[in-house]
Amino acid sequence: MASVSSTPRTSYELPLSPGDALPASNMPHARASLPEPLLLQNVVWFCRVRWIVVALLALFGLMGLFPQIERALGLREHLHWPFVTSAVLALANLGFLAHARWLAKSGSPSGARVNLWTQIVVDLAALTVVVHYVGSLETYIAFAYLFHIVLACIFFSRLESFGVAAMACAFYLACVGLEVAGVLPRAGLYADPSLRGQIERTPGVVLLSAGSALVVWLVVWYFASHLATMVRERDSQLDATNRRLVEAQREKSRHMLLTAHELKAPFAAIHANVHLLLHGHCGTLPTDATDALNRIAGRCRRLAAQIQEMLQLANIETPDERNSRWADLDLTEAVRWSLAEVQPLAEEREVVVEHDLRSARTSGVEDHVKMLLLNLLSNAVIYSNRGGRVHVRCLSGAGNGPIVTIEDHGIGIPPEKLPRIFEEYYRTAEAVRHNRESTGLGLAIVRRVAETHGIQIRVESEAGVGTKFILGFSSAEGSA
Amino acid sequence: MAYILIVDDDEDLAQAFAKVLKDARHEVAIEGETARALERMNRKAPDLVILDVMFPENSSAGFELARDMRKGHGKLGDIPILMLTAVNSKFPTGFSARDIDADWLPVTDFVEKPVDLDVLVNKVSALLQRVASAGDRSKNAK
Repeated sequence: MASVSSTPRTSYELPLSPGDALPASNMPHARASLPEPLLLQNVVWFCRVRWIVVALLALFGLMGLFPQIERALGLREHLHWPFVTSAVLALANLGFLAHARWLAKSGSPSGARVNLWTQIVVDLAALTVVVHYVGSLETYIAFAYLFHIVLACIFFSRLESFGVAAMACAFYLACVGLEVAGVLPRAGLYADPSLRGQIERTPGVVLLSAGSALVVWLVVWYFASHLATMVRERDSQLDATNRRLVEAQREKSRHMLLTAHELKAPFAAIHANVHLLLHGHCGTLPTDATDALNRIAGRCRRLAAQIQEMLQLANIETPDERNSRWADLDLTEAVRWSLAEVQPLAEEREVVVEHDLRSARTSGVEDHVKMLLLNLLSNAVIYSNRGGRVHVRCLSGAGNGPIVTIEDHGIGIPPEKLPRIFEEYYRTAEAVRHNRESTGLGLAIVRRVAETHGIQIRVESEAGVGTKFILGFSSAEGSA
Repeated sequence: MAYILIVDDDEDLAQAFAKVLKDARHEVAIEGETARALERMNRKAPDLVILDVMFPENSSAGFELARDMRKGHGKLGDIPILMLTAVNSKFPTGFSARDIDADWLPVTDFVEKPVDLDVLVNKVSALLQRVASAGDRSKNAK
């Protein structure tokens, strides 16, 4: 009989990534209302709008000081209610603003909502006073309640916005009810008694006038809150999709790093072992074997360079990577760094690199700008003839942004081939004859960096005479 | 002659490094896992460690071993570390010798794969020389 293993059997179930498996419609539920920071912004906005109302009421109050104007307009002389209402609203507004500033400093999570609700209650109360004095049934002033109902639909959940609508209805009904009951004196702005006095507060008038207003408000609330909920749902879906895209970008970067390792590591091992053979660590080899090994080493080097350039090309296009590292940068220093990097290659090829560098700044991702400069500079050296000269200039560019020029006197590019040199893997036959190690990706990298940084590139070339790249950078964002 | 420990899961590469370093008259040992490398170092401290960054089970195991050596294990704290990386050290995803920071990444120098074996031998010699000079200075100071 077989013995029972002492190690317990373990199991593991591969979890599916929820972001991949679920359709967008099943993504997290929409927020019921706007987030607190956005509500806080709107607290301040409401207060600004309220100053307009305060000013309008004060102006209306001032008009009361000139009875002839009111008579000319057919309005009744009004008492001091516009001033009083304006003053109350102004004082409340100062309080709301002070509270909002305190909230912004303290970062209280629920304060904005409390502030907004207080504003709404104060507004509705003030509006009810205005409605009473202007004419609750005789004028259309009661429809001013709709502003608050619609705005509540945008900022709050459906339940909360219904609360605002119900509160507006309650304030208005209380006003009309107290007028009908005779608790509040008959008011209204119209001077003509036939307009003001003819409307008796009979049950029918109240039902038709006030009731129809309430029905309109509730219908408006229903449509506005429904549409606002739909917009918020859409907003949440977009937010979730955006988060998944950001996560995918991060995963892509991680994958690129692993790819760099997994693809380059085997070449490193081959390269190292070829080196052992070529440098006599394993004894003397026949000439044919040495030639073959040199070819293997060369291909390894080219493939490793190609993998690196493919990764660079992919990485430039990662917006997450780009956005997080965008900054003002010293262009002169970047050119100087590229010159130092290319110097060993220049010495190997007996090319003299001359430079004239003035102070210049631009904005961008430092690594990417250096990548562009180093690619162009390496090309200038590689495609120069032995003993040739390369001239590099960096000028601040008098108001139009810095200009960098890289000029060689090398093999040049035939005019019909110039438009294609920035294509991926495109190499002119002349370039291949001159340098078999070219990957055809260097200028594609230059093009991508130029596109993402808005760098204008002009190429002037003549076959057999040389090539000049003129780069127009944007000014640093911080500079004038 | 120095005792050099190569910590790399790529045996083909490690063997090639070992060969040239042995030819340069150094004693060389190879470990393919960082945990076992730490055990080996605690048994016998090397004069220099050549350390890869990425290992099959942990893509930053090399960094972690370097930090462990510097922070958690006193007698390993001063051993020079030459870090190998397959990721380009200039841009855009990587780091360079300029990024060497004793707290974040406590290594002494970098070499980028594919490594030129002559460069490797020269770097190893330079690092060992630097350690020897520092040792002489501290002796003289006493």
